[in-house]
Amino acid sequence: MTIEQTAASAVTAETVASTVLGFLVERTRTTPEVDQDLFASGVVSSMFAMELIVHLEKSFGVSIVGGDLKLDNFRSVRSMTALVLRLRGDSAPAADG
Amino acid sequence: MADPLAGQRDLVSALVGDQADKWDLAGELPEELLRQLGAAGLLCAQVPAAHGGLGASSAANGEFTAHVGSLCSSLRSVMTSQGMAAWTIQRLGDADQQRAWLPRLTSGQLAAVGFSEPAAGSDLSAMDTRISLEGDTVVVSGQKVWVTAAHYADLLVVFGRCGDGGAAVVVPATAPGVLVERVADPMGCRAAGHANVRLDAVRLPATHLLGGVGQSLPLLVTAALAYGRFSVAWGCVGILRACLRASAEHARSRQQFGTPLGQHQLIARHLADLLVAEQVATRACEHASHCWDAGSPDVVIATVLAKHVSAGHAARGAASAVQVLASAGARDGHVVARAYRDAKLMEIIEGSNEICQLILSQHVLTTVR
Repeated sequence: MTIEQTAASAVTAETVASTVLGFLVERTRTTPEVDQDLFASGVVSSMFAMELIVHLEKSFGVSIVGGDLKLDNFRSVRSMTALVLRLRGDSAPAADG
Repeated sequence: MADPLAGQRDLVSALVGDQADKWDLAGELPEELLRQLGAAGLLCAQVPAAHGGLGASSAANGEFTAHVGSLCSSLRSVMTSQGMAAWTIQRLGDADQQRAWLPRLTSGQLAAVGFSEPAAGSDLSAMDTRISLEGDTVVVSGQKVWVTAAHYADLLVVFGRCGDGGAAVVVPATAPGVLVERVADPMGCRAAGHANVRLDAVRLPATHLLGGVGQSLPLLVTAALAYGRFSVAWGCVGILRACLRASAEHARSRQQFGTPLGQHQLIARHLADLLVAEQVATRACEHASHCWDAGSPDVVIATVLAKHVSAGHAARGAASAVQVLASAGARDGHVVARAYRDAKLMEIIEGSNEICQLILSQHVLTTVR
């Protein structure tokens, strides 16, 4: 599945988690558990968190700005999944504005 | 997509003319020039049209930045500050804040961004400026140093500690408790308006706090610096182009030992090195801009790499250019003399050579198997 297809088709917790995991594996050659603390394990620095932000924005058509620039949002695959689902939910009602 | 900056290079060339030398020696840019370029959206050309900007791509804005950098690094530094302030508001601000502040930055108001402090340069964990919320008021106290363009700025985007995390605040330079004092005699980019800023319990409406509380200071600064690094990198390409041009003209026209300088092999090597430097820096910057425009995660490291490559080549290239021009370029204010001083500062700001190397080496350790 291409990135564009991911953005257009139904996005579920499973598709988000697998996309994030795919990125982590590609970049770091390690496969974390969904709840693993990526900062504690040294996988994620603030530079890598920026890469994750750009990746999530491109993959899911969301904007991660303002108050969402918290490291906790990028601490684990599960927290990134929750962030993306929340932002996609937030953006739906705003479509008429 | 049409390049909104097409034709604007000629405008800037005409406005700058041959005055960059004079501005460097005086340590001052004409304020009306900055206001005019700002009102045309040219100081932060990537701001989206929805917020009054030109909506330029990173690639187009990069080439424009290089052009300005080839004319006057002080002016380019002001652009870097304005663009970084706009990018910070875009990245850290919510929708209302973007609507409130971005149109100001594309209509003639000038902005600067404060990171460094007396005890906190590369080490952000030592940042001591405090940002606190008291009801619907945000209070800012601290001291920022070497804030580029703060001398000209109407708005200061100030980073600091906020609770357990970090935050950034938009501070009007005229707010009670703000004191802006110019850095005396900066070595390079002398007319860029570097200033130290004191913030003494500055009280502002909470709407000036970008994004809210509880954010990660390193992440906020990383996000903001992305634009600054990109802009400095392209500015260094401009420095190299100016040095290449001056060196080529001099090597063709100046005769020694009965032949043009360019026919002397040791001088000719400087010309080859300058061309290689300009081309390598350009390619690194083009790649970073391509990643930026494509929304590729590679933009993060590509931008650091472009900044590091371009600043190093600019510093070495400018030294070569002074060597080629010798006494003809050894007068302060001369294009290669300015380049020599300006480029050295580019190895220091927005992540020193050493900080860039640490980031790149960490990237190697994390990703290369």
